[in-house]
Amino acid sequence: MKRSEFIKLTAGMAAAAPLLHACASEKSIPGEIVGASAATGHLLRDHSFNAPAEYEQRGVVVIGAGVSGLSAARYLVQQGVKDVIVLDLEPQAGGNAASGSNAFSKYPWGAHYVPVPNNNLTEYLSFLEEAKVITGYADAGLPVYDEFYLCHEPEERLYINGQWQEGLIPNFGLNASELQVFKQFFSLITHFKQLKGSDGRDAFSIPVDTSSRDESLRVLDRMTMKAWMDGQNLISEHIRWYVDYCTRDDFGTPYDVVSAWAGIHYFASRKGKAANAAYNDVLTWEQGNGFLIEALKKNLDGKLVTGALATAVKPTGDGVKIDYLDVVTRQVKGLEARQCVMAVPQFVAARLLRDEERGKTVKGHFQYVPWMVANLTVNSLHERGGQPASWDNVIYGGRSLGYVDATHQQIRQLKERRNLTYYLPLTHALPDTARKEAYRTQHAAWAEKILVDLQPVHPDIRQNTERIDIMLWGHAMVQPRPGIIHGDVRQSLAKSIEGRIHFAHTDLAGVSIFEEGFYQGIAAARKILQQT
Amino acid sequence: MKGTTGKHSAQWVLLVAVFIIATCGLIYELVAGTLASYLLGDSVTQFSIIIGVYLFSMGIGSYLSRFFNDHLIEWFIRIELLVGLVGGFSAIILFLVFPLAFSFQPILYALVAMTGILVGIEIPLLLRILKDKVEFKELVSRVFTYDYIGALLASLIFPLVFVPYLGLIRTSLFFGLLNVGVGLYLCRYFAVEIRRAGAIRFGGILILIAETVAFIFSEQIMSFSETLAYNDQVVYSTSTPYQRIVITKNRHDLRLYLNNNLQFSSADEYRYHEALVHPAMTAVREPRNVLILGGGDGLAAREILKYKSVKTVQLVDLDPVMTRLFTGQHILSEINRHSLRDPRVTVINADAFMWLKENEKQFDCVVIDFPDPSGFSVGKLYTTAFYRLLKTAMKPGAVAVIQSTSPYVAPKSFWCVSETLKASGFQTVAYHNYVPSFGEWGYVMAMKSGAYQLPDTFSIEKKYISRAVMEQMLQFPDDMLAHEPLEVNKLNNQALVNYFEKEWGKYLEQ
Repeated sequence: MKRSEFIKLTAGMAAAAPLLHACASEKSIPGEIVGASAATGHLLRDHSFNAPAEYEQRGVVVIGAGVSGLSAARYLVQQGVKDVIVLDLEPQAGGNAASGSNAFSKYPWGAHYVPVPNNNLTEYLSFLEEAKVITGYADAGLPVYDEFYLCHEPEERLYINGQWQEGLIPNFGLNASELQVFKQFFSLITHFKQLKGSDGRDAFSIPVDTSSRDESLRVLDRMTMKAWMDGQNLISEHIRWYVDYCTRDDFGTPYDVVSAWAGIHYFASRKGKAANAAYNDVLTWEQGNGFLIEALKKNLDGKLVTGALATAVKPTGDGVKIDYLDVVTRQVKGLEARQCVMAVPQFVAARLLRDEERGKTVKGHFQYVPWMVANLTVNSLHERGGQPASWDNVIYGGRSLGYVDATHQQIRQLKERRNLTYYLPLTHALPDTARKEAYRTQHAAWAEKILVDLQPVHPDIRQNTERIDIMLWGHAMVQPRPGIIHGDVRQSLAKSIEGRIHFAHTDLAGVSIFEEGFYQGIAAARKILQQT
Repeated sequence: MKGTTGKHSAQWVLLVAVFIIATCGLIYELVAGTLASYLLGDSVTQFSIIIGVYLFSMGIGSYLSRFFNDHLIEWFIRIELLVGLVGGFSAIILFLVFPLAFSFQPILYALVAMTGILVGIEIPLLLRILKDKVEFKELVSRVFTYDYIGALLASLIFPLVFVPYLGLIRTSLFFGLLNVGVGLYLCRYFAVEIRRAGAIRFGGILILIAETVAFIFSEQIMSFSETLAYNDQVVYSTSTPYQRIVITKNRHDLRLYLNNNLQFSSADEYRYHEALVHPAMTAVREPRNVLILGGGDGLAAREILKYKSVKTVQLVDLDPVMTRLFTGQHILSEINRHSLRDPRVTVINADAFMWLKENEKQFDCVVIDFPDPSGFSVGKLYTTAFYRLLKTAMKPGAVAVIQSTSPYVAPKSFWCVSETLKASGFQTVAYHNYVPSFGEWGYVMAMKSGAYQLPDTFSIEKKYISRAVMEQMLQFPDDMLAHEPLEVNKLNNQALVNYFEKEWGKYLEQ
């Protein structure tokens, strides 16, 4: 072969290579975007509705069947208020704790665990007892948790420096001075855990509103976590990554955006003790917190109306009128209640109430971060060295939060397939931009993003993933940026209207965790009980 | 053009062919004999029968040769290819049909007979082909000389070269390839005298390709490294969705390995199974309904069936391949005395944990014979969560016994099982004995209530256990104690897996 021919041939091959590559990756993985009924929800923004022909009389109407709404309804029913109805636009209740299932297991679409609860949360503990998560109390008064629900070992692993290490706190391959920084950080956290403010309250407590309002602590809500770490001289690439991972994981907020108070709260507010679990153990189920949703719903038979998009809430002379769209029949219906709980995010509440002032306040202060959650159905995957496949699997330096194995809590020896739930808070851009971008992104592009992210730890993931379903949460949670927790916006938005319309949602707590939603609901329910 | 030199060299080509055929034929016979003695034991009987069948079949072949009248070279080549096909694949076929218990011996002898018949046809055919070319005296002398030299060569290189370096499957394939190669060469050499040389050559090449592929693939069928990993000859191995099952055999015993861990040696398994079963069975008055979890080898069942009071035995084992093997395969069911076919025994192929969760029956005695807690999956079967379920499957006076790894190698692991049972609300009795192939081995009995009392006698047929032996088994010397407070094994800490990994890891490092 002549040289020129050879060059032509190789040039041709080089030109064809991308085509070949494109052909190879054509083999797309099936699945769909299942989205949190964004289109239905956005009707509220883009569409005006007729008034309903008539209003049905009701005692209490709860709008929103997430944790807050269900908790409010559950508490009311328990206290003897039977005339309760809960509306939700989704086909299933659950909010951020929604879950799905396939032939191999149930799996979470959002929140997937709760830490071992703080022991002072009496109502929460008794709920867990009701849900048979707590099976009894040991001699020392400590709760005994059902072993099947405590996260089984191996719990967490982190892929770092070419190996899976045990736990998520980076240590494999770190030098002594970096490890020292971690030590320093955790000794600060231990200090905050035990600290009490001048008002005698715990410095960091759950619900957040039971925390001390000591000025020396409130100051932490005026800076970002990053600024605080800078001030503490916590300089290490690894600890920065770790703290950023944690704040993105719990709050969907990077550490240089999140309030230092909220960031520290993540680490210092968990003080739960159990008879048969360690302080850092968590409770989890195949379907994640979908299990707790089922338990909250238990006594709400016939009281839950799904596929019902509330379109307007108006206080009347002595009650509240609620208009809602039956998503299936496209009919607008009306309810007239004595009391109403708006267990929806505040930007939705403002629209329902046609309250522009509230709308402006929310827009000015609250940022709702979008999330993408995917469920991957996989065959057995190639594993890198180190700790074997665990419940929570995180890649150091990755943009995603890694994945949780929904089948981990199954006790069977052989799992034909596993469902891996992959979490990605879309924090790379401002929430509005990220949200629009997310709605535009096609299934194949999401799938590609996920595979590229996981390929370094499972080189054969492309061949062994059978299906990827994507859930988009347009407004997953409020970001606890500086000023949210200890500012006065939360309090002013949380005030009931005319003693008849009450608010319950984790955005009013500032941090989106199960306990906050649970107590938001109970607080709203108690306000209603006081009225009657 | 070919003239006398052509005739002369044709003669030599055919004689070399005889030599190769003789070598190959004997190799196939040796492969069959070796395989049969590995798989069925009793090498004298096996070799004797196989040599008999082979020689007899050669006789049949010689008789049949009279029916070939024309195109002798063509037939010679065809048969050559056929020998290559049957002989070459014989070892693979035998390995594959081994688990199909009842059909093994007929297939074995059929293969030996077929090879014998084909080789038996070839020699007379060759004599007839060459009869016009060579003087009769010369001919007989040469053909048989090459035949017997081939036989000597085969019998020397088979044990010294081929079995150690290639293993049985590859050896038979190698000689299959040689046979086919000779056939193809003859086909080319005598192309003029053959009618449909193209078709025959095509067939030969197909066989050649098939055997080459099988030769490469044989690594997977029975990998060389695996044969090396075990001290003895691997007579059966398979991968099920649950585990890798390997059975090895030497002249003393047969061994079962699951995921490379020895489960039993037929030489001393009675020590293990008597110790596992009888203390618990004698601790219950008149045990009627017994549950076995794991124990798919049917050996614990064999011991349990010795009690006349036993009405039902439920055996729950994950792997249907295991229980099928130990039900149907003769040399294996011989060891468990066909316990899995006993009408009192019901075999359930299910995940023990899942099964126990659904189970509503209660038993008088439960024998738990799971693999050691060497990983997080199997570790779940040793947790408080599992033992609490176990308790619900036991009648008030019932006793369970759990194989609990070696208290000598892994004292913390062993006592952790005991602690875990206590934490699950059982009274426990720990004991141990010596099983030569395992070393010092441990068991924990778990009782719902009451204290353990030694029985006066063990009045079943036995080789090992007695009251005196049991008294000894209850004694633990200092080097089998944990010497520290131990964690209870729970789903959310898997403490046992950690103990086990450390202790056995350290032991195996030495």
